[in-house]
Amino acid sequence: MKKVIVACGSGVATSQTVASKVTRLLKERNLDDIKVEVVDLKSVDTHIKNSAAYIAITKIEKQYPIPVINGIAFLTGINMDAELQKIIEACK
Amino acid sequence: MEFLGTIINYILNLGAPVFVPFIMLIAGLMVRMKLRDGASAAITLGVAFVGMSMLIGFMVDAIGAAAQTMMERTGIELSIVDGGWTTMANVSWAWPYAFLMFPLQVGVNILMLVLKKTDTFNADLWNVWGKIFTAFIVVAVVTPILGSVIALILAFVVATLQIILELNSGDINQHRIEKLTGIPGVTCTHRMLFFSAIYYPFDLLLRKIPALNKPMDAATLRSKLGIFAENHVIGFLLGVTFGIIAGYDVAAILMLGIQAATALMLFPMISKLFMQALSPISEAISDYMNKRFAGRKLFVGLDWPFMGGASEIWFTVIVAIPCTLLWAVILPGNKLLPFAGIINIALVVPAYILTKGNTLRMVILAIIGVPFFLFVGTQFAPIITDLGLATKAIDIPTNQLISNSSIDAPVFTYASSFIWQCSQGYFVPLILAVYWCIGYVFYARELRKEYLQETNQ
Repeated sequence: MKKVIVACGSGVATSQTVASKVTRLLKERNLDDIKVEVVDLKSVDTHIKNSAAYIAITKIEKQYPIPVINGIAFLTGINMDAELQKIIEACK
Repeated sequence: MEFLGTIINYILNLGAPVFVPFIMLIAGLMVRMKLRDGASAAITLGVAFVGMSMLIGFMVDAIGAAAQTMMERTGIELSIVDGGWTTMANVSWAWPYAFLMFPLQVGVNILMLVLKKTDTFNADLWNVWGKIFTAFIVVAVVTPILGSVIALILAFVVATLQIILELNSGDINQHRIEKLTGIPGVTCTHRMLFFSAIYYPFDLLLRKIPALNKPMDAATLRSKLGIFAENHVIGFLLGVTFGIIAGYDVAAILMLGIQAATALMLFPMISKLFMQALSPISEAISDYMNKRFAGRKLFVGLDWPFMGGASEIWFTVIVAIPCTLLWAVILPGNKLLPFAGIINIALVVPAYILTKGNTLRMVILAIIGVPFFLFVGTQFAPIITDLGLATKAIDIPTNQLISNSSIDAPVFTYASSFIWQCSQGYFVPLILAVYWCIGYVFYARELRKEYLQETNQ
């Protein structure tokens, strides 16, 4: 079981939308062993250690040891497939 | 007819935790969800209602008791418990006509796009509850003046106005938001940005003071103060503060601190369930819109968090917390004890865009903005409490009022719902409406000018 995290400012609406969408897309591809978890933006650092990728909704300047995925793509639909592929790669 | 009325009353009396999931199931099947998924989403929604209701009850017990003791001891009457935006969303989704807001928002958006009155597609279908919120406030204010049928019609008229203005706000703010965030093709359609109109005249003055226009390193300040922006830490500190003012003993003070931390930490966790349940519907609508307008360059309207990377926002939010508490004590007529709404994003994000991220001006504007939020929060409390109790979305003792110290776009929401009181000789909402309109028009003009200048070069 690999974990992917999504974060937004309140850790509720936007990140949960992205998480639901990514979960559904992964399910359609029969990738049930990837878990998408919503976390609060302020606690991202504590979750990074045991995650395979970080789906960010804000612009990221900081460097992370795991791949950072553009979460906006899942809200707008633009480049969504490419970003999804990155998640799948990160979880291999 | 009477028979139909009996059935409707029976359904409504089941309470929101039962009838809203039922509506959700029907809506889910309409957007072609599988029965199994639809049922799962519907039950999740019911769980969200009951979970929120439990949590609100828990919070009101803990904080309400402290507020009562604080009042007896100090004479400061802050009797309305602040449930934050999560409580507002909970009560809004319980409004019997809530789900009608989905087709209304999508319909108005399509019409505006077809008529080329906007370039924004509002993909933020979570904040449909913001329209529901305004609508039920309108119903409550207008019903005693003009009757329940006209009130309901007006509620949907005002909600339509809000939908149009959100699209317009998305259009006018897009260029500056792209500049600030570096994210192309998106904008913010959240009504919290309406509050820029109230800040605008103040900011025009502040811009004239050279000392306020120096850049400040918000990132460093934020990393020092960062821990105070975490929900449980703020909750603990507030609980301890209330306990001390109430004159509790040490054990009780610490217990109140932990209880307050519990409430603030669990609120987003439970609220997430609403989003989880509703996301299949919002995804279906988004997919439909993307197909419908494929080929046309649209700005995608989102909720505010994509701007949440800005340190200036978080720094100002933290600084605003003690200021909000101070205002709550000294503002005449305020009855709201700031608590769950105290991390007030709606106070700060409009100032962030207006000042282009100037931290000092953001802080000053936020301090100016707080009284508007407290005033509107106090005014709305009986309406919110009544609807919550009537729909069984909240379960709190009678005589206890609940509200929110961070109602988004407080002036617009208040003015557009209370303006009907003019017929009863009360003109404050009208004055605020005029103030808001003038502010909005001039701010829009500034943004337009900036867009034209920067794209011509």
